[in-house]
Amino acid sequence: MTEVKAELVGNVWKVKTQAGAQVAEEDELLILESMKMEIPVTAPRAGTVKEVRVKEGEVVKEGQVLVVLE
Amino acid sequence: MTDDFEAQVGELRARRKKHLAMGGVDKIAKQHERGKQTVRERIDLLFDPGTFVELGLLAKDREGSDNAPADGVVTGHGEVDGRQVWVIAYDFTVMAGSMGAVGEQFKTARVRELALRYRKPIVWLLDSAGARIQEAAGSTFAGTGWLFADQVVMSGVIPQVAAMLGPCAAGTAYIPGLADFVPMVKGTSSMALGGARLVKAATGEDVTDHEMGGSQVHCYESGVGDNEVENDEDCIATVRRFLSYLPSSNTETPPHVDTGDPVDRAVEGLDKIVPVNPRAAYDVRKVIKAVFDSGSWFEVKPTWAKNIVIGLARAGGHSVGVVANQPMQKGGVLDSDAADKAARFIRMCDAFNVPLVYLMDVPGFMVGSQVEKEGIIRHGAKMLYATSEATVPKVTVIMRKAYGAGYYVMCGKGYQPDAIVAWPFAEISVMGPEGAVNIIFNKQVEASDNPEATRAQLVETIRAQITPYLAAGWAMIDDVIDPAETRRVIVKAIEQARDKKIDRPWRKHGNIPV
Repeated sequence: MTEVKAELVGNVWKVKTQAGAQVAEEDELLILESMKMEIPVTAPRAGTVKEVRVKEGEVVKEGQVLVVLE
Repeated sequence: MTDDFEAQVGELRARRKKHLAMGGVDKIAKQHERGKQTVRERIDLLFDPGTFVELGLLAKDREGSDNAPADGVVTGHGEVDGRQVWVIAYDFTVMAGSMGAVGEQFKTARVRELALRYRKPIVWLLDSAGARIQEAAGSTFAGTGWLFADQVVMSGVIPQVAAMLGPCAAGTAYIPGLADFVPMVKGTSSMALGGARLVKAATGEDVTDHEMGGSQVHCYESGVGDNEVENDEDCIATVRRFLSYLPSSNTETPPHVDTGDPVDRAVEGLDKIVPVNPRAAYDVRKVIKAVFDSGSWFEVKPTWAKNIVIGLARAGGHSVGVVANQPMQKGGVLDSDAADKAARFIRMCDAFNVPLVYLMDVPGFMVGSQVEKEGIIRHGAKMLYATSEATVPKVTVIMRKAYGAGYYVMCGKGYQPDAIVAWPFAEISVMGPEGAVNIIFNKQVEASDNPEATRAQLVETIRAQITPYLAAGWAMIDDVIDPAETRRVIVKAIEQARDKKIDRPWRKHGNIPV
């Protein structure tokens, strides 16, 4: 199981995956918005999305778990 | 008498042979089992064939015993691409490469003395259990430690490389701590101020040397290591590559290499790499590879503080240090680690006469309570300081965003670049248009019947004012360029500044924020 965490504080601009989806390494899981930049969050490895823990528009903290892969 | 002569020379040969055999067949086999090369195999890789000259081969430990050939450290000099380089290479097959009195007080001290006397680089090949405790445990410890003071004296005078090929425990970890470049072999190398056994005794923490100080810690989390490499061969090839961009000392300029890549080459494909939308991410390393001499890009610290990219490259054959924001990581925002990473690299380039090229696309410094607790002001100040202090040729290319103090530390106009140019869709401003509207026109937006439409309209009004043409109209920047011209502009600027001379007021030294 791999937890994909926010690298910096920001808000969730677009969620681009869902539970059950198969992802390859480097696939975009969601896009954060911070410092007026769109910051893609990508899969650190291939796997299945077990859980998406955030919703669009939600503010996230640095280190907060966004997506869980298995 | 002939017999005597031959017998005497024969004894010398036997002594040499014994010491060249290092810790013996079993210890060498064990070294290979661990995936490591022996110290002599490493030295063969480091130097051009047949150029190594050894000093102190016949040294023993302080007891004069037969158990410590060369006292566990091989020292001397050889050539790297035809240039003299000195080496201090610990031999793990001899008493675990531990640092003994003879090795430290005479052998390695001799290398430091001569390398500095001749102004030539030093490479440490580190694979050592640390101080030889049986020799050092006693108050004669009082007489040790000057190796670090020597390193500090040599800092910025000769390049210092600490190649991590095995453990580097305890105080000796300050050798890489003070070095200019620290490649680490994945899996076998480690460094820590206290080794695992000492940690267990001192604090009770149960941790291995690898867990505590392997490349997965230092090249990814701590930033003490620079480049993680796969094995000993890669590590030493990386050392040779690093040295190829640097002069032998601060009194020389870096070697010029004809790379065959034309100076006037138009940079193709940037339109497919860089989105005009300033919010969108891309990989700035693709820009670097397209702009600089083909095959010349050598990234440093690629796996730590990835929101800024640093490394060495060639522009028209000239060695350059590249500092580039990386929109693909954290949007390219500057934070404490990014500022530290850039500042140290900028100072190294400046010390060794390597011109600096800044590729700017920065939304600013990270803001908020988290980064203030980290002391981002003092970290960011290091980058300000380093860029400001650097007197090598400096070239600034504003690719897209140039916001706030990010613009300053990426060598904005106030930091005396020798050339500062912008691409046509650059945005130069104290902050992004959205932030500016929120602050300047907040009341106007709130009072509007249609706040969102008013806000959007004001954003567009401000966006029109932050194009590079206002700054170019004031001649605050030297030019607005077609991105395809970037390569030629950089090379010409470096050549324009070749005879650069800057005089500053006398001082003992400045007080860089640390």
